[in-house]
This record gives sequence, C-alpha cells and structure tokens, in this order.
Amino acid sequence: MEEGEPNNFSSGFKIELSHLRTTKYEELLMNFHPPAIEIRSLRVDYGDFLAVDDLSLTVPRGEVFGLVGPNGAGKTSTFRVLTTLMEPTYGEVLLDGVDVLEDLETARRIIGYMPDLAPVPSDLKVWEFLDFHAAAYGIGSRASRRERVAECLEEVALTDQCEKWCGELSRGQTQRVVLAKTLLHRPRVLILDEPASGLDPLARRDLRNALRRLADGGATVFVSSHILSELAEMCSSLCVMNRGRLLAAGTVDQVRHQLCDTRRLLTLTPLSHHSEAAAWLSSQAAVHELRIEGQQIIFGFGADDHAQADLLEGLIRHGIRIRSFEEKRSSFEDILVEVAQNNRTR
Amino acid sequence: MSNGNSSMPHVRHPVWKVWQNPIFRRYCRSRLRLRGAGVALLIAVLIAGFIVAMAGSIGVGSGANPQDSARPAIIALLVLQSLILFISGTAQVAGGMTAERDEGVIDYQRLIPMSPLSKVLGYLFGLPVREYAMFLATLPFTAWALWRGGVSWHTWLPLYLILFSSTLLYHFTGLVTGTVVRNRRWAFLISIGLVFALYTIIPQMAKFGLVFFKYLSITPVFQESLPGLLPKTAGEIVRAGQQLVPTAKFFNLDFSEAVFTAFSQGGLILTFTVMLCRKWRRAESHLLGKLWAVGFFVWIQFLLLGNALPLIDPGNLFPSRGFSRMVRIMPDWSPQPGEAVLMSGIYGFVTMALMFCLAAIITPSIDHQRRGWRRVRKLGLSTLPRFSDEATASGFVLVMALAGAFGWFVFTRALVESRWFPGQAVSLGTLGYFIAVMTACGLGFQALLETKGGRTVGLATLLVGVVPVMAGAVLSAISDRMISFAVWLFGMSPASLPFYAPGSLLSISELPAEAARAVPRAFYFWLLVGVLLAGWLVVRLRQARRAMAASVAGKP
Repeated sequence: MEEGEPNNFSSGFKIELSHLRTTKYEELLMNFHPPAIEIRSLRVDYGDFLAVDDLSLTVPRGEVFGLVGPNGAGKTSTFRVLTTLMEPTYGEVLLDGVDVLEDLETARRIIGYMPDLAPVPSDLKVWEFLDFHAAAYGIGSRASRRERVAECLEEVALTDQCEKWCGELSRGQTQRVVLAKTLLHRPRVLILDEPASGLDPLARRDLRNALRRLADGGATVFVSSHILSELAEMCSSLCVMNRGRLLAAGTVDQVRHQLCDTRRLLTLTPLSHHSEAAAWLSSQAAVHELRIEGQQIIFGFGADDHAQADLLEGLIRHGIRIRSFEEKRSSFEDILVEVAQNNRTR
Repeated sequence: MSNGNSSMPHVRHPVWKVWQNPIFRRYCRSRLRLRGAGVALLIAVLIAGFIVAMAGSIGVGSGANPQDSARPAIIALLVLQSLILFISGTAQVAGGMTAERDEGVIDYQRLIPMSPLSKVLGYLFGLPVREYAMFLATLPFTAWALWRGGVSWHTWLPLYLILFSSTLLYHFTGLVTGTVVRNRRWAFLISIGLVFALYTIIPQMAKFGLVFFKYLSITPVFQESLPGLLPKTAGEIVRAGQQLVPTAKFFNLDFSEAVFTAFSQGGLILTFTVMLCRKWRRAESHLLGKLWAVGFFVWIQFLLLGNALPLIDPGNLFPSRGFSRMVRIMPDWSPQPGEAVLMSGIYGFVTMALMFCLAAIITPSIDHQRRGWRRVRKLGLSTLPRFSDEATASGFVLVMALAGAFGWFVFTRALVESRWFPGQAVSLGTLGYFIAVMTACGLGFQALLETKGGRTVGLATLLVGVVPVMAGAVLSAISDRMISFAVWLFGMSPASLPFYAPGSLLSISELPAEAARAVPRAFYFWLLVGVLLAGWLVVRLRQARRAMAASVAGKP
C-alpha cells in the first residue's frame, strides 16, 4: 500500500480482489473459486464486552495466513465463529463460498480446527483417538482408517508414539496429535489457534514445513499466534488484531512497513543550543512526545521520509549544528508489545 | 501430503445402528478395557451371585419349595440393577458429558459431521456402557431366578421394559444436566438429585391429585408386577390388596401400568432428545423451540387432567382416601372440602412452576435478542421470525398461561362439582380469575426476564417470591393475632396466588376464622398489583425491544 493511505488493510485486500474482477470471465471464475475465507463486518459481543469489532478479511486459497495479536485481541473469538462453534453478533463468514452461519454441516466438512491449548482425552491411546475421529469423519473401512491415521502420524512425526496414552504426552506431543487429528479428513481450510505453543524449535520447524506442504497442496491455513516471529516464519501473509479490531493485513513486509511507518523515533544530538533546537522542533507539526535526555533530544515523528529530510534541513538552516541525527524504527516485536500494553491498560 | 486440497469421501453411519456409532465405539473402547471394567464386572457378578445364593440358601433353610426360595432373589437383583443403571449410570452420563465440555474435547465432537441425533445416541449409550455391561453381567442370575421361580413373562417383560425406559429417561436427565450445567461437580450432584427427586419427591405429588408424576418412575409397574415376583403366599396377599388400588386410567381409557408408564416416559424422552439435538446443532440454541415448549406444556396439562379426572368420582384422587385405605377406615370415608381446595392450589402452583421453567427456556437473553436483530438487518427483514429463538416469548407464555388456567379450572371444577360436594358449582368467573393469576405471573416473569436478564429475575424471585413467605411464616408462628398480617405478606409472593385463588373463590372453601377475611382481601389486592405490574413490565419490554431494534438497525 502507498504511504499516507488510511490504515485499513482489510480494504487493501478487497482492492486486490476487486482488481482481479476486471473482466466478466474473471468474475465468473471468482464465483466458481471463491476465496478460502471471507469475513464481512464480523462483530462478537460478550454481554457488554466487544470482542471483535467490524472485522473484514479475505484470505485467498492456498495461503498460510497468520493472525497475530496480544491475548484478548479477539483471535480466538474470530476462530470460534469461523469454525461454527460460536454465533457472532453480526457479520458474515464464508468458507469456500459456504456461509458458516447458514450451512453448518457443509462448513464443518470444509474445516479442520485445532483449538488453543488443544485438549486430548486421557482415556484413549494416540491411535485410538485418531481412529475415533477418522471414523467420525466417515473415513470408510478399518483398513483405510488405519492407513490414514498412519499417514497423519507420520506427518507430525509421532508414529513411534501411537501406542502411548494421550494423557501421557508432553505439551508439544499433544499439540502434534491434535494437529494430526485436524488433518485426518483432509480439510480444505485449516484453522489453527496457537499451534506452535509448547513446541520446541525443531518441532516448530517441522510444523512450519508441514503447513507449507499443506498450502502447496491447495489447502488454506489460517493460523494464530501472539508471537509474531513465529508467524512471520511460517506465513505468506498475515494480519494484526488488537482490541477486536484489525490493525493491519498483507504480506509480512507490507504489515511491517505499515506498522513501523507510523512509529518512527528520532534522536538528535546538537553540538550546542539544545533548548533552541528543542523549541524549534516542538513547533513542528509532525513532532510529538519530545523529551531531552542529557545531550540528546528524542522525539516521535509522524510523517514520511521527505518530511524527515526537510526537518533536518530546517534545523541546519536555523543555525543549529548537529553532531548526530538517528532514526530508530521499532521492531515488529516492539510494536506488538506496545499493542499488548495498550490492550492491558484498556 | 497427498491430496492435501480435497476433503475425503464421507461415509455416514445410519443413526439407528448404534453399534456403528463412532462415539459409542469410542466409549466402548475406553470404558470396557479389561483393567477398569474387569473389576466392575467382577463386583457385579459377585453381588448378583451372592444374592441368588443367599436367597436360595434361606429358602432351603426355611423349607420353602424351590419356586418360592428363588423368587426373593429377583427383587434384590432388580434393586441392584436399578442402582447400577439409575444411580451409577446417570452420574456417569452427567459427569462424563460435563468432563467433555470442561476439557474442551466437546468442540471436536461438535465439528464432526455426524447428525445431532447420532451424537446424542452415541453419548447416551456410550457414556454408561460399563454400567450396561454390569447390568448384562447380572442378567444370567436374573434369568436363572425367573426360570427357577416360575415367573411368567407377562410379569417380568413389562417390568424390564420399563426398567429400560426409566434408565433412558434418567440418562437423558443426566445428559441434559451435563450439557447445560457448566461445573462438573454440580452436574453430577444435580443429576443424582434429580433421579432422587424423580423417585422420592415427585411421585408424592400423585397423592395430591397430580397422578401423572408417579409414572416417571418404575414404581407403578413394579407394584403391578409385585405379586408375581413374591413367594406365592405373600404374592396372593399383595394381589388382594391391589384390588383396592386403582389401575392407570387416562380419561375413560384403561391401561396397564406398564403401557401408561411407557407412554408418559416416552413423551419426556422425546422432549429431552429434541433438547439435546438442538444443543448439538448449535450450542447457543434454546433447549426447546417456542412451539415445542407450548406443545409440551399443553401435553403435560392433558396428561395431568387425563390421569386425575377419572379418579375423582371413585374418590381415589383425594389424599385422605389413600390414608384411610392404609388404616382401613374405608366405609364412611368422604373427602373434606379443604382437601379439594388444597388440591386445586397445588395444581395451580405446579402448573405455574412448569410455566416459569418453560418460559425461562424459551425467553431470549439480551445478547440473543441483539444478535437476532442484527441478523434481521443482515437478511433485510423487518422483524424477527416469530418462532426463532431470538423472538419475544411473550405470546407463547400467554398461550401457556391460558392453557394452564384452563387446565386448572377444569381440574378444580371437576373436584368441586363431583358427587362428593353436592350442590356446589364453580362459576365461569373463576376461570377469569385463574386466567388473571396465570397471565399476570407468567407474563410478568417473562417480561422481566427478557428485559433485565436472569440475574434480576433471580434476585426478584428471592426478594418477592421467597422472602415474604419466610417472613409470613415467622410472623404466623408468633401468635394468632399476627395471622392476618402474615396472610398479607404471603400474598405478596406470586407462589401464594394459586393457593389464595381457590381459597377465595370456591364456595366449598372453609378457611380458618383468623384467615377467612384476610385471604380474599389479600388475594384481590395482590392480584390487582400483579396485573398492573405485569402490564407495566410488558409495556417496558415492548419499548426495550423497539429501542434495541432501532439501535441495532441504526449502527453497524
């Protein structure tokens, strides 16, 4: 997206899609191949608490799409609506063109859902748990179920644990068993809520590869996490939520660019005339939160690169000799920490 | 992964093939493991074996014939089987269901593409599968005792059919409790409490004219079969005693106890099935749809009247008749007018309580209403579909109130105009008052619940429904002079109106002198207050709904 555009990334995605709908043929094609996930004006209330606020989002097929946000951002509520487990207060959710609120049964066949802190029944062995779900999903004969269970266990590298009791698994192993369960019926849309939590780096890498393979096979993976680096590694695109609202969406670079641009921090170290420099800076419209720390003047700057160059030129013209002028951009993690803090102080 | 982009072909299991149901099989796997089930089965076999051996040895010791010595074991085995299925099984169903929800595993089951009925049946037979196995383990002993005791199949077959239908009823109770109650411990306690109530407390209402409630337990069929299960001499005595006890009558139809019990329990089982299917289809759904709730209420009225009315003229409906039968003072017996007034009050009270329960089920919460209005906006409609969960329940509660008042009036009229109280009549004006009581209480309750939510209603129930009764009871105990003041306090509680109405309106009413003036005055006063309050609450509800519709339509 261009700089200076409103920070509405969901509409950015819509623009992308509407751009595709330029000819009648393409429009027809779009009708036959609707996006994997389409959320329109989703709103979820819990009494007086607004958990998801006017969320609109489109996820194309074959993507590994990440949803990042601090705890309480509305990720799980969004996922529970997507998976038909919860009715939203308002809005439409379409999975592969199927309205999940109107056609529950079809939608449930399309999705594979792995909840946050995925539970497993402690009274079943790993293969029994998977076999039960394979049978429940109507995977025909015992032989074909066994074959499919073995495939999924192999996919999550747990073949050697199949005789173990589910209750005896470690946190990471439990996550992998539930992922295997989620894959059993070959869902077209996978919805994974914090799938990497509890996984060691090796297992995380395996998960990343597995998700990539699924996406390459045509499945769409919608995955959430509150750890951005985790998602940045595995997702082709992602979106950021806070306080129930969508803050940003796009490719990893697009999101980084969007969020960082509005949060640049400049540090100026004049040789002399500190107070004059500070006074002049304070009079500039784009400068905010200015403070002096020793020799340094630190301030936020809310404009683009050209304006930043003009600011430096203005300082020099004003007769202020500058020893150093630094720009510090917040890292992605820093931004999310800030977002999380905002969430807590809400 | 291979075929990563396509959903697998799906094989649907027929609902009726329970043995193929994946949920049932999952529990067979986990609950019938040799390690856990082996011990349970061994205990069941040991106890059953002990019962049979003990009964046989006592028979031999007392010199009884083989038939008579085998029969006592049958009843003891039946008690054991009932304990296994009713208590342990129900607790297992309620606890297991809550555990599934507690752990979050239930979300997986919600998503699996099985029909809601398949899921219900899977849990219904799967969760207590070990208890069914224990029951089956005791059956060979029962079969031996029945064969050895020469018990005809006419006796044992209905008994075991009703044992099975009662088991289903209690397990459904547990399943609904487990689905609705969030806390595992509470679900367990409530389900056991409900089974206890169904067995001990609720059947007692049969003694006060609400005969239908005794058919929720196995007791009537057991009593009917008892002579055939006892040693011959004892059986003959019991059979002779049973000649005095009325058979199940439904209006003018005569049924065996087993058929009528199956009929009564079947209706409840069907209703529970509907409740669970609705919850499985969508977790936010009300337990019952509006039409079903009204139908269920009318059906219960129909059963209550159908059971009660035929027993009025023979006198078997009156509590004192049962008492006099016990102490053998039959010949000069006749019911007291006060009994009829009290029975009318109890009928009205139970009808009102049932109406409150159903109103609570079908009344949408504020969240539900908001969601409904947003959906209306989304679909471009102008109003909520009348029968949807989100629509107002006022109209349906009104229908229930009218049906309840009519049933109450029919019952009261049949009592008062029976041959026991010659020359007495109940005027149509009484129906008007009954309608006022039911509609004021029903609509007031429903409107408050829909406008303010469950918390406010709970508080109101406590402060307006319970506290005045408690305070009145304390006052009346102080001295006789305080009774009229206590009557006014009692009258503040809607629960007292069904008792005050017959006490004030029926010509046969014989109130104690201290209350004779206060009861009618308190009744008319509080009824007027109730009607005005209900009217105001209904108006407030309409305003609130309009405001909500406007606010939801006005913003995204």
